[in-house]
Amino acid sequence: MPKGVSMPKESVDHQKGWNFEAAAMPFVDALYNTAYRMTRNAEDAEDLVQETYLKAYRYYDKFEEGTNFKAWLFKIMKNTFINNYRKKQQAPTLSDFAEIEESFENQVSEDAAKPTKNPEEELLENVLDEDVQRALDKLPPDYRMVVLLADLEGFSYKEIAEILDVPVGTVMSRLYRGRRLLEAAMLEFARDHGYLREGDEPAKMRSRSAK
Amino acid sequence: MDCKEVSETLFLFFDNEMEEELLAPFRDHVGTCGDCARKVDYTRKLLWIVRERTYRCSAPDRLRHRILISFEHRRFAGPH
Repeated sequence: MPKGVSMPKESVDHQKGWNFEAAAMPFVDALYNTAYRMTRNAEDAEDLVQETYLKAYRYYDKFEEGTNFKAWLFKIMKNTFINNYRKKQQAPTLSDFAEIEESFENQVSEDAAKPTKNPEEELLENVLDEDVQRALDKLPPDYRMVVLLADLEGFSYKEIAEILDVPVGTVMSRLYRGRRLLEAAMLEFARDHGYLREGDEPAKMRSRSAK
Repeated sequence: MDCKEVSETLFLFFDNEMEEELLAPFRDHVGTCGDCARKVDYTRKLLWIVRERTYRCSAPDRLRHRILISFEHRRFAGPH
């Protein structure tokens, strides 16, 4: 359109609506999955995603062409999540985090002291799908968010840093800790299955010999 | 690159975030060190589990409807 000729406002809004819808709707599953894992509640997750879309639509003019639209949507959702989360005062306190950090540090130094032969390799084979979900749910929110963005959504460190408004170094350390905590939790669940399986052994043998 | 550096950069390697010039030294070390080769293999399995076996929930249809209806509303009513 030539400069100086303006479209009627109504049709500008109309066009904007269609453009936004076409660009944004393909990400609804990804946003919902992350929202659900962060809120751990379907109703809150739906509200969070809806609010994200409304805000994104409102600020669509501010989106810079050529930058990552998916990352932009996730950033809006992260900000909305933090605001709502703080409002509801469900966020773990700083001291909770300090405790987690401390127990993690102990874990790391224990790991370092362990002999090189590791039963973890075997245990990893025993991890069930539900263990992965439980372990992810158990992660402190800051770590969970980084793991979701990196491992489920495939964002780069730089994109995650932009979404979360933290330095890339923080993304790397949270991702490192987050994955190690996740690993520790999954191995713990897998170890529990191992014990159960040993306990089941006599029953299995009986059924086998009965055949 | 030594074993300690391999440990420290394992995730960078699997996240495709390792600097170009470190890739060859990383691969060279892992190719000749059994311990590090095991760690690489283990990390690959670990990340595969997290990336591929985490259940992904789809947005419920009613959420899609809610969002689409709000767009319709805005298109016809204009911005608020």
